[in-house]
Amino acid sequence: MSSSREKILAAARANKPAETPLPTVPDFGGDASVERFMAVLSSIGGRVVWVADPAQLGPVVQQLFPDARRTASNLFPATVGVHAQTPTSGLAEVDLAVLPGEIGVAENGAVWLPEANMLHRALPTVTQHLVLVLDHRHIVATMHQAYARLPNTGGYGAFVAGPSKTADIEQSLVIGAHGARSLVLVLY
Amino acid sequence: MSHSLRAATFVADADRTTWHDETLWFVRQKRDKAVYAVPEFQELRELASQIKEHTLGRLDEYLKQFEAEARRNGVHVHWAADAAEHNDIILDIIRRHNDTRVVKSKSMLTEECHLNPHLLGHGIEVIDTDLGERIIQLREEAPSHLVLPAIHLKKEDVGATFHQHLGTEKGNHDPQQLTEAARQHLRAKFLAAEVAISGVNFAVAETGGVVICTNEGNADLGVNLARVHIASMGIEKLIPRLSDLGVFTRLLARSATGQPVTTYTSHYTKPADGRELHVVIVDNGRTQQLGRPDFRASLKCIRCGACMNTCPVYRRSGGHSYDFTVPGPIGAILSPNIDLKKHSSLPFASTLCGSCTDVCPVKIDIHTQLYKWRQVLAEAGEIPIAKKWSLRFMGRFLASPKAFGLGGKLARTGLRLLPHQLTHAQALNPWAVARELPEPPKQSFREWYARAVKQ
Repeated sequence: MSSSREKILAAARANKPAETPLPTVPDFGGDASVERFMAVLSSIGGRVVWVADPAQLGPVVQQLFPDARRTASNLFPATVGVHAQTPTSGLAEVDLAVLPGEIGVAENGAVWLPEANMLHRALPTVTQHLVLVLDHRHIVATMHQAYARLPNTGGYGAFVAGPSKTADIEQSLVIGAHGARSLVLVLY
Repeated sequence: MSHSLRAATFVADADRTTWHDETLWFVRQKRDKAVYAVPEFQELRELASQIKEHTLGRLDEYLKQFEAEARRNGVHVHWAADAAEHNDIILDIIRRHNDTRVVKSKSMLTEECHLNPHLLGHGIEVIDTDLGERIIQLREEAPSHLVLPAIHLKKEDVGATFHQHLGTEKGNHDPQQLTEAARQHLRAKFLAAEVAISGVNFAVAETGGVVICTNEGNADLGVNLARVHIASMGIEKLIPRLSDLGVFTRLLARSATGQPVTTYTSHYTKPADGRELHVVIVDNGRTQQLGRPDFRASLKCIRCGACMNTCPVYRRSGGHSYDFTVPGPIGAILSPNIDLKKHSSLPFASTLCGSCTDVCPVKIDIHTQLYKWRQVLAEAGEIPIAKKWSLRFMGRFLASPKAFGLGGKLARTGLRLLPHQLTHAQALNPWAVARELPEPPKQSFREWYARAVKQ
């Protein structure tokens, strides 16, 4: 144990204010509708596609991205095999990743993507385009409800809300900064 | 140099000042729109403030809990008392991996510690990967805003910078094309880096994990491709429970840019197989601020920048005029803690209008603290002599009804008779540099009242 550790902890102990109670965070309820989720996701640059049956996923993706040559997925037969130990050079070539999301959040269009669903931690950002697939019954109203459904966040996991974007040049919104250039959410 | 002197160079370009003001006000308006769409927003602010208050009251215990959980997850935890130790720890980790190419995603803490020059001085290439950060890194400037680091630059400036450093076409200042050029340039850096450094938005004591929020995905791309991830975290980033993130993730992006949430809200709890995750816990003056009852609430700050976007002084003087890592109203209450003498003018760079306090998502009483710092500075003798003596004189003057009545009469007559050149002489009356003096009334209120009562 470093002496800085002791120093910092001692100073924090000596200087901290009187303890106040930790508040209980209520469940604020809210609108968990598919309509709200779709409207918000569209407003932040995502695109929502409905499929009646998840078995149609292959043809739907084919239709959406006819030019994608190197596709990685754990949902249908893909053209590139990606796993936790895939080297960077292999990851850098992926055009499209199609991955299952776990929870959709209606208030902000975010989709919870745990490590177990992403083949490799870098895949959702290193791929040029990202498709997330979500069961519409897994949409909740707010972030409170989303976290309530997570017993823990695993080794790694991310809420992904739309495509990578930036407004760092004169506040002009540009879609496609470093991560995926587009996000399509396939709802069933 | 005082804030006002540095601001003078910024406001010398009137068009740019107006543009800067309007751009930030636009962000403030987006914030309002996002906030009004959340019915419980005010309750969330109160909850966030209470959660932070509670955490500060048990800070040592939560730090220990966070450390224990993180270690259990296989995370290497380091403690740094100050900036120098922070930089040494990071350099040491990089050296142990024999690496020279490092990518970094935005962290104001590494900026505060001046990590980049330290690494560069030891032969390490460190590339900032947030687009705004990369732009200012190429220009060898500091960020001028917490969330919008290059907000002081116009697209023509960025075009010229990219033409010089990235070989984009001269005169091309299309944001879309410039961003694409940066994407290609930085992708090569991401793919080559063995070590990635990031900041931390929230650290969860309960899980021992850290949360990083970005729109560009630069943190995720960098740290998930690199073999070693070093996360640099101030001790005030702690929150107790995973569920508390529900409160803070709802507040952060809405307050910052008016987005419902950042594109990526990523939770790093354990390193991936065969990889390393390091967390450097940094004090650097924070426990000292914790010991100042009037100012400790500033440690609740979640770095959204809302106070800057709304501040009439920040919007018109630019972030660089503050000469501190965190500019704007929040910077003006954090900086005197670090160096009272150097930053003595910052608490005066405020109209005390309270707009910063109104928008703060964790309810920091920013304008009250600015007012309190002024008293501390006055007592420490850190205000200019002219201001000190004129205020002392004004105090006596205003306390005496006789002197006040006579002075008013003199001023009303004087303002009418004295030439404009004299009343507006910059050396005598700096107040009038950018203002007109009021039209003097014919009589004072007391004279009017005395007459009105008689009638």
